[in-house]
Amino acid sequence: MSSAALRVFVFAAAFAAAAAAPSAAQSSQDAVAEDSTYGCIICHADKRRAFQQGVHAERGITCDRCHGGDPSQVEVASAHRGRFIGAPNKVQTLSLCASCHSDPDQMRQFGLAADQLAEFRTSRHGQLLIQEGDLDAPTCTDCHDAHLIRPSTDARSNTYPTHIPETCGKCHEDPAMMGKYGLPANELDRYRTGAHGVAVLERRNFAAPTCIGCHGSHAALPPGVLEVTDVCGRCHQLLARAFASGPHGQAPSDRLRGCLGCHSNHGTERVAEDRIADLCASCHGAESGMVSLGREIQDQVRRSEEDLALASEAIAEMAEEGYPVEDERFRYVAAYTAYQQLAQVQHSLKLEQLEELTRQVRSNAGVIRATAEARAEQRWEHKLLLIPVWFLTLSGLAFAWFKLRDLGR
Amino acid sequence: MLRRSLQAVRRVVSDVWDDITSSVDSSLLGAARFLGLLYGPIDRSLPIDEALRKSLRYRLAPHVGWRHAMGGITYLLFIVLVVTGVMLAVFYRPSVEEAYPSIQHIVSVRPFGWLIRDVHHWAANLIVIALLAHMARVFFEAAYKPPRETNWMVGLLLLAVVLAFGSTGYLLPWDQWSYWTVTEVLNAMAHVPLIGRGLADRIMGDVIPSGATLSRFFALHVIVLPWIAFALLGYHFTLVRRRGIAPPMETDGEKPRGRPGGLSRPEDLEREGTPFFPNHLLRSFSVALVTLAVTLSLALLYPRVFSAPANPYAVPPELVSTWVPVDVSLALIRLAGPWGLILFTLLGVSLLIVPMVDRGSERRLWRRPAVAALGLTFFIGYVVLFAVGRIMGSVPPSSDLRQPGVEAPFEPARPTAPLPETGLTPPAPEPGTEPGGAR
Repeated sequence: MSSAALRVFVFAAAFAAAAAAPSAAQSSQDAVAEDSTYGCIICHADKRRAFQQGVHAERGITCDRCHGGDPSQVEVASAHRGRFIGAPNKVQTLSLCASCHSDPDQMRQFGLAADQLAEFRTSRHGQLLIQEGDLDAPTCTDCHDAHLIRPSTDARSNTYPTHIPETCGKCHEDPAMMGKYGLPANELDRYRTGAHGVAVLERRNFAAPTCIGCHGSHAALPPGVLEVTDVCGRCHQLLARAFASGPHGQAPSDRLRGCLGCHSNHGTERVAEDRIADLCASCHGAESGMVSLGREIQDQVRRSEEDLALASEAIAEMAEEGYPVEDERFRYVAAYTAYQQLAQVQHSLKLEQLEELTRQVRSNAGVIRATAEARAEQRWEHKLLLIPVWFLTLSGLAFAWFKLRDLGR
Repeated sequence: MLRRSLQAVRRVVSDVWDDITSSVDSSLLGAARFLGLLYGPIDRSLPIDEALRKSLRYRLAPHVGWRHAMGGITYLLFIVLVVTGVMLAVFYRPSVEEAYPSIQHIVSVRPFGWLIRDVHHWAANLIVIALLAHMARVFFEAAYKPPRETNWMVGLLLLAVVLAFGSTGYLLPWDQWSYWTVTEVLNAMAHVPLIGRGLADRIMGDVIPSGATLSRFFALHVIVLPWIAFALLGYHFTLVRRRGIAPPMETDGEKPRGRPGGLSRPEDLEREGTPFFPNHLLRSFSVALVTLAVTLSLALLYPRVFSAPANPYAVPPELVSTWVPVDVSLALIRLAGPWGLILFTLLGVSLLIVPMVDRGSERRLWRRPAVAALGLTFFIGYVVLFAVGRIMGSVPPSSDLRQPGVEAPFEPARPTAPLPETGLTPPAPEPGTEPGGAR
């Protein structure tokens, strides 16, 4: 081969390498630690993929922080040596995570609490795992995943509000596992169709609670019978206050189940307005005087509802006829506010407060309807103009007809 | 004493009247004639009162009957629209924030504002019907033939002006129906190839109907179009007098190209017929009375319903038409898409060339089948489409409205599993090779 031909060949090879370079750079881009000096990933490529999408990889945490071993080695035997842990068991996992997450000095920079392990110990999950050694109980990685750990603000995270029901459901929807503990496996279905589930999952209203809103996350425990009113009252503050001031709230007996007496726990059923008296009868008996109180409450609520419906019809009618209805809308909002307070006040079973609110609804709705009626009467009076219009028209026509007849003669 | 003072007053009044009649030129009557208020010729050599008297003695051709009243009805409704329109313009405010409330103010606070608004609304509907009836009469009697072909074209321009009046006025209430109907029609217009999109955008002055659209529609409605309308109307009336009313169908005497000009105008000829005053005026008076009474009755019985204020961010569930041509347009858009509206408009425009093509002396409908088919398609089509529009009642807005993001809002399905991950499942190993990875 002549030197000129060699030169051409070398040049062509360099050119080809330069053309191939971008694709090589691209493939190495997503492998942060893909270099020959980091040994773990040579074999554990699938773990690396998951881990790199998690929050720990972003912080530069590498495999050996949890698993030990020597990442600088590329042979299996030499890499799995030293302080090597391998796959930790459930209890080891707790201490492994806690070694950083229970250290306030390390967690402060991320705004994270450092009490998860302490909380976990108090939870039913923690009691089963730590005290009873029950390996069916979950450890950190069962909810947060071992490698793909994301912050709960990430919409893809297992602990994002819309995903929490499935995360809990992994065990709590498994009839075989729940049967072992004598727990029902259908609570999640009831949650999903209940008011809270619909609010979170369908309306994306994250003010409504998921499982952890009531049970706690790391300190997961079912609220005790006497605590239920407080748990619900954390959000439903006015209802809880009204309930506490009423006869049910002040009754000393622990046979009453607080909020759950009328609304269930996971289903969170709303009591229909026409079912209030039946609900009273289910405990007090159909003959009881309490049923008539219930029926009275029921009637008040339904009457207010009717008043509101008529008022809104009246407003729509006026708007259609071109009358400004701002004042009426303000009144309607006042009436509607009173109506919404009915829901709160009826929990105290104080009839006089209820009547006062019903009166407010009725008077405001009444003013709206009276205005609409006055407008309708006005419009009806407008039509009376037809009489003079046609009287004048017919007179004019008669005049023209007689005159034309005279002219025709 | 009383009688003497009365006589003094009478003398003063008659002196003033003498001064007026001797000082005002009789040409002033020409203005009244230009506005269509006076039919006969005006002898400008006479004092104004005698010229008026002479003009009133004018006789109309004996075959002029009730069916010739549609043009006059159209003109009366036009005057009604001008008067009520000026009254509305006093209180209407052409801005996005104030248009709707100002109409509420007119209807609910101003004395008889509701009546004026509804009369304006109903007169706008009736003028279209009267105008089309007038056109149909002229068309089927072949009154557009020479020497009256210019007036046919002026009349068609007047139809275009009336439609433009209504189209611009339709947006002014600035409620959901008017806003989205205008959007829909402009959207159909944008389908015209080459010029459509540019034209629609130029008319809107924005990417959607907005305050800019409202301002220019208002300016067109109350400033530009009235001037054009009065100019065309004056010319229309003048031509009616210069060329005369078409002779009855039975007579074949009129020479098709005989164009009377110069001094021998048909209006100057002494002839037999109905005197303009009082016979014709009494008949006009009756027609005017009935027209006004019908307009008032419709306004009193069927006021125009308000829809919600215009909201560019919410397509209403239905569009209710409140103007005859809108019924027709929406029916066309529903039945045949935007091209239906475009082609029907072209059909209307093609009526312009009818008198250029159809110049023979034959006036009977079955002897000119091509022209008859064209006219029948237009007039019967209009009536049928109007009926279809009425039967459909309200129509849902079409889905291809031009605004981005007016489609049904995206409803996320209830999640059953976390979103799928890319790259989490390891690729399936090639058959026949050892799986690599973790051991």
